[in-house]
Amino acid sequence: MAFLLRSISRSADGREIVRTSKVSDDLLKVGRDPECDIRLNDLAVALHHATIEQVSATRVGVSAEMGMSIELDGSNTQFGQIDLAIGGTIKIGPFLLRVMPPELGGEDVPIVIQRADSAEVLDKFDTRRFALQSVMPGKRLMAWSLTLAVLAIFLVWPIMSFYQNRDQADRMAGGFHPDSLWSTGALSQSHAALGSNCQACHVTPFEPVRDNACKTCHVSVHDHADLSRMQRATPQLGGLRRIQQSIGTWFGQTPGRCVECHTEHEGPQQMVATPQQFCADCHTDLRARLADTRLAAASDFETGHPEFQPLVLIQWDGNAPRFERVALNRRPLEQSNLKFPHALHLGALGGAAQAARANQLGARLECASCHTPTQDGTRFERVDMERNCGSCHSLSFDENGGTIRRLRHGSPEQVIADIRGLYRAGGPAFPPELSPGARGRPGDANQVRAAVQFARARAGVAARGERAIHAIFSAPRGTCYECHNIVAPPPGTLNYRIRPIQFTSRAGPGQPESGRYIEHGWFDHRAHQLVQRPGQRREEGSAACLSCHTGVRTSQRAADLLLPDLQSCRACHGGERTRLPVPSTCAMCHDYHMDRGVPAELLRQRTRGQRRPSTVAAACGGRR
Amino acid sequence: MASRGLRTGLGDGTAHESFLRYRRYRWFKIAAILSLLLVIVYLVVDVHPRHNGGSWLGYGLGTIGAGLIVWLSLLGIRKRAMTRGRWSLKAWTSAHVYLGLALIFFGTLHTGFQFGWNVHTLAYVLMMLVILSGVYGISVYALLPQGLSDSRSEMTGPQMIEAVGSLDKQIQISAQPLSDEDSAIVLGSLGEDPFGGGLWSRLTGSHPRCGNMRALEIMRVRHDDSSGKEEQAIEQVLQLLEKKAAALQRLRGYIRRRALLEVWLFVHIPLTFVLFAALTAHIISVFFYW
Repeated sequence: MAFLLRSISRSADGREIVRTSKVSDDLLKVGRDPECDIRLNDLAVALHHATIEQVSATRVGVSAEMGMSIELDGSNTQFGQIDLAIGGTIKIGPFLLRVMPPELGGEDVPIVIQRADSAEVLDKFDTRRFALQSVMPGKRLMAWSLTLAVLAIFLVWPIMSFYQNRDQADRMAGGFHPDSLWSTGALSQSHAALGSNCQACHVTPFEPVRDNACKTCHVSVHDHADLSRMQRATPQLGGLRRIQQSIGTWFGQTPGRCVECHTEHEGPQQMVATPQQFCADCHTDLRARLADTRLAAASDFETGHPEFQPLVLIQWDGNAPRFERVALNRRPLEQSNLKFPHALHLGALGGAAQAARANQLGARLECASCHTPTQDGTRFERVDMERNCGSCHSLSFDENGGTIRRLRHGSPEQVIADIRGLYRAGGPAFPPELSPGARGRPGDANQVRAAVQFARARAGVAARGERAIHAIFSAPRGTCYECHNIVAPPPGTLNYRIRPIQFTSRAGPGQPESGRYIEHGWFDHRAHQLVQRPGQRREEGSAACLSCHTGVRTSQRAADLLLPDLQSCRACHGGERTRLPVPSTCAMCHDYHMDRGVPAELLRQRTRGQRRPSTVAAACGGRR
Repeated sequence: MASRGLRTGLGDGTAHESFLRYRRYRWFKIAAILSLLLVIVYLVVDVHPRHNGGSWLGYGLGTIGAGLIVWLSLLGIRKRAMTRGRWSLKAWTSAHVYLGLALIFFGTLHTGFQFGWNVHTLAYVLMMLVILSGVYGISVYALLPQGLSDSRSEMTGPQMIEAVGSLDKQIQISAQPLSDEDSAIVLGSLGEDPFGGGLWSRLTGSHPRCGNMRALEIMRVRHDDSSGKEEQAIEQVLQLLEKKAAALQRLRGYIRRRALLEVWLFVHIPLTFVLFAALTAHIISVFFYW
């Protein structure tokens, strides 16, 4: 019984060297130790790694030492047996021990010992591994996988979502939709609710946003002017802008669309004021293309804007007022039929100031004593005689049992009748001689005398009443005459009449619909309650009003139209680009969408609480 | 024209001129003037309400930028054909570098500095990554090769591996007398893959779990604790482990420099393709939702 060991190694030049030895024992120690029967010179092999033992004539057993493992016919194990009829392979460390079937007739078990050249070792010294590529995924793989991922997420997914959700506004109203990956920026504050619904505006693929999409919600927006007139008024653009427009038109971006001004995806802001150029394109020389226009040329508030032309009541045709737009530099007079000297009323001394003190209105009358702004801040409440003037200009004429009787304002016939009645009531007692059945002094002479005396007394009373009526309607101190133009009565009568009072801003017969002096522009008084003109001190209250309405302090008659002129505004307001404190585009005062309401921009700023009661911030260099 | 081309061609051959300095920085000057013009136009032109990709200037810059990206990417095809003269590969590469840098201006001004979490900014970011990786590539090409030859100590790559391999063999032989415990430790050094570690290890040169280093540390302690024959055996192994550590350091230093030199290509090239995808999505989306 013996083991025949055949150890195969290779020389440096690759030649095979075989060493054969025989161990006459039925037990073989395998390990790195020099005392082992099979010595395996590798550190992966323990000093005493395993034992091979002949367990029968046909079987050989292999067992690993404590803590070691071997590989028997390809599987890791601690011990096992090899059938000598077919042989088997034991792998210990890098060595292969092939147990062969004994030769025919022999008993010796041949074992071939060979070092296995592992692929691992070869790989370890592969010079291709110097390149970074050996530890990186392939460039081609990276490129393809990322490319496909980007196309799938950012192109295919949003397009699929578009077609799936088409015409399903309720589904689009909220939540995440892949097409939002295409959004170039947040929508404006007023459109924020549409943020997740791209299709609200982008209706058809590859078609620029159309006005129809806007009109789905904005049903009552007025056009700027008649479309055919607008087309005639639009100038031929020159140079770059013409090229720009024709390229845009070629791509379906026709001029005049809502989105030209109402640009979106610019972040959560309010609508940005339309640039001046947008208006100036047509209005700089409108008359050249639209000969019948009544609008003067305008291009820039600072350098090209006509003088304000308020609508003024310039004349009366009988009782019908005639209004006309007259430039302020032509010093129009407003024939309102009212007598009202502003100078007298705002004076620090005199009756008006005294009356103000007596009525506890302050040291003197202020603008606000009579003029109350409307809710929208752009206009004033109508001045009312009883409310605003009555506390000083009393219409009382009698006291009866503690009740003050007042002349009825607005009704001259009633005034005349009331005065007559007053004097009649205070006349002589009717004499008993003239009463049938009454007892008087007997005799005709007595009755005649009583009648004569009574007639004389009555005539005196009537004459006093007529004198009083004349006085009320006449110079110099007639109650009505003080403020009104009086129409003298026909001779022999007392039928005094008052000329009707009328202003542009006051409803009445023949009154223009706008009811405003400046028909096409808006001014926000509330934004000017605190005024600081460049180089001047801050003004508030009446002084703020009078810093613009400069003629008020000296105005002796109501006919003076005391609106500030262009020059006055230009102290602070310049054009779009200006050195003046307030750069002002057309949109600051004018509304593109023409209607009679307050301009949308003013309303927006008001509702958002951004309208300031002051010009100070602007005057100090702030921008609004 | 032809004779001029021939002369320049000869001129190119006589003295080395890098693609960066090609024709006294001709393309640098062109790109710089272009970029400066662009900035001036951007500042002068008044776009309402503010600069963005959808204005006439934005569309213009976008179109030029996209065209430039396509042309820049063609270097990948062009580089496979080496020619001389005005349209030599050197001229082309020089233009690629400087016009690629000018693309920063085209792209950035095209955005109008409006960024967000969307496909448009994705395309911009990818473009910038490609450009910046290119800038990195140029920089390492200019700076690293010197260090690369220094690190090799006049050795070639295979020689460096060979050095490690032969040390492994010597360690294998010297460690035969060691105990099972000690040989297991030394085996850790033999099992150490000189190329081991991923991208990070290669870029940083940091191999915190190096088997050789660990074996060295433990064997030093073992050496102090041992005596007699064992001490001698351990000392011999220890010397070899130290030699191997030096060989590994040299090898890995070289690998690190190569990684630093090559890594930009793994960004520059794949991301160029991804950029094309994002650019396609960007352009289609803009016109889809016009």
